Amino acid sequence: MQIILLTSFGGAFATYLLAKISSRLRDVCAVIVSGLLVVFVALLYNKTPAATLIPSFVGAPLTVRLNMLSWFFAIAIVVVGFLSIVFSFSYIKGKERADFYYLMMLLVNAGMIGIVLSADLLTFYIFWEIMSWGAFLLISYNRGPALRAGMKYIVMSVIGSVVMLAGILSLYAVYETFVFSELAGRIASASPAYSLACASMLCIAFAIKNAVVPLHTWLPDAHSEAPAPFSAVLSGILIKMGTYGLILVLYLFVGVKLFISPTYVWRGFRFVLLVLASITILVPSFIAVMQNDAKKVLAWSSIAQAGYIILGITFGTTLGFAAGMFHFLNHATFKALLFFGIGAVEYRTKTRDLNSLGGLLKRMPITFIAVLVGTCGLIGIPLTNGFVSKWLLYKTLILEGSPFLAFIALIGTWGTILYGYKLLHHVFLGQLPEKYKNVRKAPASMQFVLIILSLAVVVLGILPGIPLKLINTIAVSMGMDSMNINIFGIASETGALNTVNILSVLAAAGIVVWIILKASKKSTRISQEDNYAAGAAIPAERYSYTVDFYNPLYRMIRRYLRDIFDEFYYWIAGRVQAFSDMVRRLYVGDVGCYAMYILLFLSALILSQVWWRVW
Amino acid sequence: MVATVAQCVLLPVLGIVIGLFFLGLYRKIMARLHWRYGPPLIQPVIDILRLFFQGGMSHGAVFDFGLVLSLAGAMAIILFIPFAQWCPLQGSGGMLVILYLMLLMPLGTALSGGEAANPNASIGISRKLILALGYEVPLLLILLSVMSYYSTISIVDIVRGQQASVWALFSWPLALPGIAYILILPAVLGVRPFDTTTAPQEISSGPLVEYGGKYLAFEHIIHALSLFLGISLFVNLFLGGAANPIVFFVKILVVFVACVCINAVFPRLRIEQAVSYLWKWPTAIAFLGLVVVSLVK
Repeated sequence: MQIILLTSFGGAFATYLLAKISSRLRDVCAVIVSGLLVVFVALLYNKTPAATLIPSFVGAPLTVRLNMLSWFFAIAIVVVGFLSIVFSFSYIKGKERADFYYLMMLLVNAGMIGIVLSADLLTFYIFWEIMSWGAFLLISYNRGPALRAGMKYIVMSVIGSVVMLAGILSLYAVYETFVFSELAGRIASASPAYSLACASMLCIAFAIKNAVVPLHTWLPDAHSEAPAPFSAVLSGILIKMGTYGLILVLYLFVGVKLFISPTYVWRGFRFVLLVLASITILVPSFIAVMQNDAKKVLAWSSIAQAGYIILGITFGTTLGFAAGMFHFLNHATFKALLFFGIGAVEYRTKTRDLNSLGGLLKRMPITFIAVLVGTCGLIGIPLTNGFVSKWLLYKTLILEGSPFLAFIALIGTWGTILYGYKLLHHVFLGQLPEKYKNVRKAPASMQFVLIILSLAVVVLGILPGIPLKLINTIAVSMGMDSMNINIFGIASETGALNTVNILSVLAAAGIVVWIILKASKKSTRISQEDNYAAGAAIPAERYSYTVDFYNPLYRMIRRYLRDIFDEFYYWIAGRVQAFSDMVRRLYVGDVGCYAMYILLFLSALILSQVWWRVW
Repeated sequence: MVATVAQCVLLPVLGIVIGLFFLGLYRKIMARLHWRYGPPLIQPVIDILRLFFQGGMSHGAVFDFGLVLSLAGAMAIILFIPFAQWCPLQGSGGMLVILYLMLLMPLGTALSGGEAANPNASIGISRKLILALGYEVPLLLILLSVMSYYSTISIVDIVRGQQASVWALFSWPLALPGIAYILILPAVLGVRPFDTTTAPQEISSGPLVEYGGKYLAFEHIIHALSLFLGISLFVNLFLGGAANPIVFFVKILVVFVACVCINAVFPRLRIEQAVSYLWKWPTAIAFLGLVVVSLVK
């Protein structure tokens, strides 16, 4: 385990040093490092090592450990990390500060591995900060508007860190330990007010990272301005560190039994979290429909999908937990896939504006298939992994008597369909604009990443038993009931799931229809103008409907979808800035003036002494 | 095993036959209400056979693939919805799978129509998705109240629950969702006055505009199946399904004819009018129904 951390951090700096020699060496080194990490983590499957990194750091040891929960997160981190490095090859080639970019990518990766491995809050906090600052540098990598996005991110992130630090220190002051296993249960046995305060403080920090409404405002800008490979990491994995933190707090420190118990305090806390999660699903889903920037669509969609994860985890039943965990894994695959896919399009066309793209299907077929698979996973079409996790979530919400939460989650899915189709239609379908007539297909390294992730989406959708078995082990280790998992789904009296039946039926029907289609009279291939203009000569312009695609819907719902929290934060930021400006006016930069301040201050002191005799 | 496979093969065929019969009936009823004689009942079958012998025009692989996906999805759902006592795939995910498989029909057509790059098709697809969002809001509330009331996600169990007592439409907590479902049924089926998606006079039949020959035949079959599926779902959820196929057929026939007759007299709604209608009374009633059901449970 120390080897993993050593490889990840050492590898990052080694890559940076090698980059000074040659950029080829740098690429090779980055791939080897991230590839080795995948191997190392995979080898540790089902093992539970523990170790001490530094015996005494500011008076407490820094310790690490591995269990099923952290392995589950770790494997997702290293795999997506590896793929993002491979994707970066072509993406970052020729850009300035590429060495720095690789260093930061590997450092953030290392920070995240550290987070899930750490066994005490101090270690956790240190790695957390490494990750947060690394992410800041990467978000603002592109300069321009990215600087502003990065600033927004880091301000919110620092607020989160401060709140988390306060929570950690308070816990240490009371229990004199940072270690998870010793803290477990102790928060719960404290007075309800104190335990609630501690849990809320930690949860606020994690909710900022996880972009739960109303703490989400950093995410849309950060995701869309970051370089594409890092957007994939950011959306797929990094924000889910907040989910990991939430699981630690709710399931380990508080304990799931107490958390879902009908105690006054915890019931209220859980209710608040569930309501926030549903708002996080509902509103961002429809804000995403209105975006015209491909990555902004995906960014808002990330917030909404994170809402599903939080909803599942805070619901607290075994199925809910499984749904949340599985959806985390699925989101890491299909959202990374979508960001990579859109990244490939951006790389080739140099734009993300949905209204100016179109018809790229004929130029970038592999990318289209990847984005199609990713969108299907996002919507939750059967036979993709997103379907299984959503199925679990809806089932538990319906059967445990929360139909309104289920309703919100399902309506959120309809928002997903709308923006999912918009994404596909505007980028890949429709008419190919004249200026993109010569776009080439994505480079091989990008296609490799896209294919791997597409396969993952489909395989996990047909064989959901593989991750669900793991999740079941985690759930049982946290004191929840076991589920009856088989490789194709779940067996139970209240409604089973069997993906192999769905697969065979769909495949059979598809084959039959395909044969009929091919067997009947052959069709002729025609281009767009042939049918639309009925063969008449028409000037070469755009003849497709993309701008304002859901116009009637926009007009109906636009006024309800303002991001009031963003406006509110900007208002606060504006006030703070005005106040700081006022303060700054005192500092005129003139020595004489400062001398006057000092004199005034001294004379005030003397006067107060003369009048009130303080000393 | 043999019986299951036989059902898997026969039910889609039966669904297509009944759906085409409904299409013919629809045209006939509309004609009679307009004081016309109307085409013969089997006109859709004649049309489809004729269309299969015309080649048609394709815009590319996705154009074909989308259509196949759409039709395959429609045929697959039939196996999840009970036709009288037959429901070959009852233990494979229940209502939630039906809900999600139903997405394949519009999504497949949308992919296919999208590649055609015809503005009329795109406008039609955009309208279809907005309309679907419109009726899904009340529909999901309705389905959730039924599922919560019977505490199951299996449609077969819902049917069984009704056969043990009374039809859901006439049982008091579920009467409200039932009424809401009747109000949105024409929107779910896409018949008058909710045929904005394929409005021939405004957008040249929307997504259908680029289809010809066998592709148009497939589109007709998909439309026929969607009529059959929408009504079967209603009959299973609110009219207690049926113990034998004949009764089931009579039930869906009655519902369909009633639905067409009532709605044929309305002129076509604009998409905003349709959505604001769907989000007003049907949603309010369905919402109230879900509140009542969750209080009763």
